[in-house]
Amino acid sequence: MNLLAYQPTWWTLNPQDNGRYGVLVGVFIAGMVLFFALSKVPHSARRPIVVGVTFLAGLFWVLRYLWPEPIALRENELPNGFVEKTGQWLQTSVPFVSGIAQVVTSFLLGLGMFSLLRVHFTKITRKQKDWQFSVLLLVCMALMIAVGYADWLQREFWIKEKITDDTTTWTNVNVVFNILFEGLLQNMDAAMFSIIAFYIFSAAYRAFRIRSMEATLLMSSALIVMLSLMGAVTSGWNGTIDNMTGSNPANLLNNLKLNELAGWLRNMVQVPALQALEFGVGLGTLAMALRLWLGLERGGVTE
Amino acid sequence: MQYLDSGKLGILVTLLIVAFILFNIARAKNRTDLFIRRIPGLNALDDAIGRATEMGRPVLMVPGIGGLDAVSVQAVTIFSNVARTAAQFSTPIRLCCADAAVYTVAQEVIRDVYQQEGVPERMDAQTVQFVSDRQFAFAAGVQGMILREKVAATFLLGAFYAESLIFAESANSIGAIQVAGSTQNTQTPFFIAACDYVLIGDEFYAASAYITRQPVLVGSLLGQDWGKMLIIGSIFAGMLMNSVERNQMVTMTRQESTVEVRGGQESVAEMVPYEGEPRKKNATETTIYRLFHPMYTESMYQIERQPKPEENPEPAPAEGGEVTL
Repeated sequence: MNLLAYQPTWWTLNPQDNGRYGVLVGVFIAGMVLFFALSKVPHSARRPIVVGVTFLAGLFWVLRYLWPEPIALRENELPNGFVEKTGQWLQTSVPFVSGIAQVVTSFLLGLGMFSLLRVHFTKITRKQKDWQFSVLLLVCMALMIAVGYADWLQREFWIKEKITDDTTTWTNVNVVFNILFEGLLQNMDAAMFSIIAFYIFSAAYRAFRIRSMEATLLMSSALIVMLSLMGAVTSGWNGTIDNMTGSNPANLLNNLKLNELAGWLRNMVQVPALQALEFGVGLGTLAMALRLWLGLERGGVTE
Repeated sequence: MQYLDSGKLGILVTLLIVAFILFNIARAKNRTDLFIRRIPGLNALDDAIGRATEMGRPVLMVPGIGGLDAVSVQAVTIFSNVARTAAQFSTPIRLCCADAAVYTVAQEVIRDVYQQEGVPERMDAQTVQFVSDRQFAFAAGVQGMILREKVAATFLLGAFYAESLIFAESANSIGAIQVAGSTQNTQTPFFIAACDYVLIGDEFYAASAYITRQPVLVGSLLGQDWGKMLIIGSIFAGMLMNSVERNQMVTMTRQESTVEVRGGQESVAEMVPYEGEPRKKNATETTIYRLFHPMYTESMYQIERQPKPEENPEPAPAEGGEVTL
């Protein structure tokens, strides 16, 4: 039996059972107690706990990567031998292990919210500069939580059958949630995203000012790539080259066509440089992960 | 016939690099003469903090918007060094997080730093704060902080996406000294355009070794360099091998087909004798291609296994639940 694999539980088999709320509350309280107990662990004992848990969690994923998976194993077949059995066990355990990470993250989200409330309540109570914005933030947060939760309950449980995509079937809560989420939040996100266009413009202006050899090279390369994307310019320039070469494909002057130059810059300069950077980043990530996994890192997060 | 299971090549190279790193860590423990080249962005850390101290303004640190992974852990480790210097000079810091897990870790690390420096009272609610886990809400929050508090220095280190330029340009507009570094190649050009110092590529991971000079970190850096040499050597060897092979005449040719396996289509291949006009090898017939595109033959999918014993019928699982048999 695979103890780590995700099993259907009595509340997933019977989702209408009210007893599940009791279990969820119990698990939540147990989790909080565990977090509180861990926060009270003496400083000297923390490192072994952190290193131990990190090693076990890392070991699972290292084995998952290195251990061979059974090939073409059908649902009605048993795995052959120790290697295949272990491979299948690791494969089926992934949802369970990922679930643990999700549960821990959910608890941490509570701590994040606590930080947000603490920062803004402090601002309001001390009447610090722009405290009114903090009031607005807290009111919006409370409103979004209340309306969002009510909307979710209605759509998933209370009147699940009555609510469809047709807006005439929506309740006031659904409408308010839609206004807050689709009407306000999404649009504010889009507004923030759109201002990047102006920042790109100002950053590009500074980067392309010809002050040094590097800036000149950057400006020239950017100009070639930009011009190669303009149909009228490309057509005119390439036409001139064709006239000079008499449309002979073997003529070396063909290399001066804008699309050829831009393609050369992209494929021979940009791509190798980016791939070299990616190799470096990959090696750095591997080394960092290895140090964390084996508890070799001193200072910072494992201290 | 394929003599080498090239599907395991990636694992072999990974293990080789892991061995390089561990060997060099062990080797570096007894050595103090290992050299790390100068990285201007990291030399500027102290200057940036000094400037903030003189101006009496805070230092802003952002570990990106990614979750708790090697990138954010590295960012927090660098920030712990920045926070240590800032704590010594009583310079206020603002560490803004977009992920609750990163926030929790960062808070613990910075609190420890302040305690070790004997000034735990200087850490307040605003020192490390969770702003939002929504990308542009986070961008708006941090941008507001940059402009309202007129931060003197910003450290943007971690996984950044579209919000990178919002931070960098906002800080640039108020004249803050900026040190940035991202593992996202798409964002590095933005940082180069808008920031004073940029950690490019793996310089980001070299930062803690550069700052602390701990033997373990420096050894790990040396192991990475060995890994780079291995990659460079492989590229040159592959280039030469491919150049030679592409000029050879064909005797065998690779034939691709698909078979139905596990209810889906899987690609299988075999080498068959080439019959026809002599020609040079094409790209898919070279050894290098076969190293990166292993040959899975149809027979590899035909494995004899025992059938599962019949089980008593059980109630059907709820929707979304996956039953392990």
